[in-house]
Amino acid sequence: MSLLNPFDASLSFEEKALQIFEFQKKNNLVYKRFCKALGVGAIKSTDDIPLLPIQAFKDATVISSPNSKFKIQNLEFFQSSGTSGMQRSRHYLIDTAVYRDSIILGMNHFYDLDEYVILAYTPGYNANPHSSLVWMLNALIENDQSGLSRFLPLGDVIDSDLLDEITSTGKKVMLFGAAFGLLDLIEMGSPSLPKQSIILETGGMKTHRREMTKEELHEQLAVGFGLPTSSIHSEYGMTELLSQAYSQGSLWFECVPWMRVSIRNPQNPFEILPSGKEGLIGVIDLANLFSCSLILTGDKGIQREDGKFQVLGRWNPRNLRGCNFLIDD
Amino acid sequence: MTITNHITLIEETTKKWFRPDNTKLKKAIERTVAEGLFTFEDIKFAILALKEKVDTGQVSEWAKRAELSDVYNQMDKKVLCLHAGNLPLVGFQDALGTILSGANYYGKLSKKDPYLLAAFLDSLQESGLFNSIRYSTELDSFEGVQADKVLFAGSESSVETVKKELIRLQAVNEETEFTIRTAKFSIAYITSEEPEVVTDLVEAIFRYGSQGCRSVAVVVSPTRFSKLKCHFQDYIEAFWLKNPPTKKPTDAIEYQFAYNKAIGRDQAWLDHFLIQDSEDFPELDATLHWVEGDEEKVKELLNKYGGAVQTVYTAGEKIEGVKTEFLSMAQRPPLWWEPDGIPVI
Repeated sequence: MSLLNPFDASLSFEEKALQIFEFQKKNNLVYKRFCKALGVGAIKSTDDIPLLPIQAFKDATVISSPNSKFKIQNLEFFQSSGTSGMQRSRHYLIDTAVYRDSIILGMNHFYDLDEYVILAYTPGYNANPHSSLVWMLNALIENDQSGLSRFLPLGDVIDSDLLDEITSTGKKVMLFGAAFGLLDLIEMGSPSLPKQSIILETGGMKTHRREMTKEELHEQLAVGFGLPTSSIHSEYGMTELLSQAYSQGSLWFECVPWMRVSIRNPQNPFEILPSGKEGLIGVIDLANLFSCSLILTGDKGIQREDGKFQVLGRWNPRNLRGCNFLIDD
Repeated sequence: MTITNHITLIEETTKKWFRPDNTKLKKAIERTVAEGLFTFEDIKFAILALKEKVDTGQVSEWAKRAELSDVYNQMDKKVLCLHAGNLPLVGFQDALGTILSGANYYGKLSKKDPYLLAAFLDSLQESGLFNSIRYSTELDSFEGVQADKVLFAGSESSVETVKKELIRLQAVNEETEFTIRTAKFSIAYITSEEPEVVTDLVEAIFRYGSQGCRSVAVVVSPTRFSKLKCHFQDYIEAFWLKNPPTKKPTDAIEYQFAYNKAIGRDQAWLDHFLIQDSEDFPELDATLHWVEGDEEKVKELLNKYGGAVQTVYTAGEKIEGVKTEFLSMAQRPPLWWEPDGIPVI
């Protein structure tokens, strides 16, 4: 498809976002109806773009394409995991190359991928044949010319020989995985990682158990793998997004250049909240060119003036309705 | 004073307070309306609903049901009630129940409903009850109280903040028992389109701007919403003619409306209210979720919504394994109704 390139560095984010907004308003039936019902016409600033609630990926088929020749049943798709009977998000991929580019270019924006060997540990995700995380890790593993990158076997400690082999090539380890799966590795007795390794946790809680804060999690990962907490990084991504944000040794996430976050007032999602105020995380992800780039997530967040943001968990809608004693009332 | 005399005195004082010639109550109503806190229609409804219960002897009946006696009571206990302010006199039941039990009452009144309950508490104070009655709209006023029990309706996000503030003020201590209500809305299971059922349903949904936890936010019915839409709208309009809505809906409702359009969900937008064909958690005020289904669907939704559901109403039908109440009682509950299924006394 020749039209817009979300990664085109010759255009500003604003320019590309406005073009994609127009493209999706015209070619995405769901988003088109959404804008029409809101009475949205021409828009001059990305701040005025309405963000589609992320639930749409569960309730409808969210596709942007001027070409209606393809058959939806032939399209690859990502699907969120969940128990049977649970409604799950489905993200159709018209062009998988966009996702691959987003992953590789995005990672290279924050890390020099040539320096790393990716070790992926994703219990709970492997059972989902439509996991976007597993797809992402496969793309990263395939991208590594050394052949050392791989999925680690489930239920087993990290092989010390493998770590030695990686070190001998002069490469660094990037251990990538769902947060609590990584804790399992520690509990099973995995060895400390080589000094310059990085742990990239995806925040997933797929393997059960206790609640803990992000700080506690990072502390435990650091101690368990013998690394400083500055080496514990996080990734913010989801089935509905083809781009990710990364935090590198702190709780503040930074987006890739073709993704932007804003914090929205849950009572009026048109309103962008000022820095420091909690609200719903809104995302413009230009890599979602063929689905919907303009998304209101269900996550609670807070943003700094420099655009970095923290994820504070799921937005709890139960706070809005009914009897509720508030100190100031 | 024996507990029997105590109960009798409260019952008489309460009956007197609801009399139409009570100028203090009249003043409290006028002030509440003048300041735009609640509509006259909603206040009148709340007062008449309570008056009916009090006049039929429910104060002493409540004491009897709670088995209050000179041996079993809460004398010398200190109960701090943190009242919400989403409906007129929403704190009446907690205040009355606490005082009836013999406990010393400490009431943090809501700034959204500061006059009506205060007028009632004044009349109880003046009646010469043995227990202490203190109230304020400022939480700081309860500094050092060291309450034995705290009652309040909260949400996951507010509970910790409130507890921290109470600890800072030493209004509570380590021994203090907390009763926290988290129910947010009620469900109605409707199988009939008879005028009295629909009238009761409309009352249960729209009274008090749908703000209470006894208000119906989810209807389960074998009839699809699209089939009943026009018929239902007539009843709603008739209700609004008598009880004009005053609150403008938030922009979030407009957003929801657009979202429903986007995904092709059936809905009706009634200027002040959105009715939608949805099983999602009803998070927004001024919305009703209509779900096509049977008794099993009611059970499924109860399981899905968890502790957020206060009551399941029917027009008389029994649902096996589910405790139900009459729809007609949704906004006129007995004095002893149980918020979150927990008795006040």
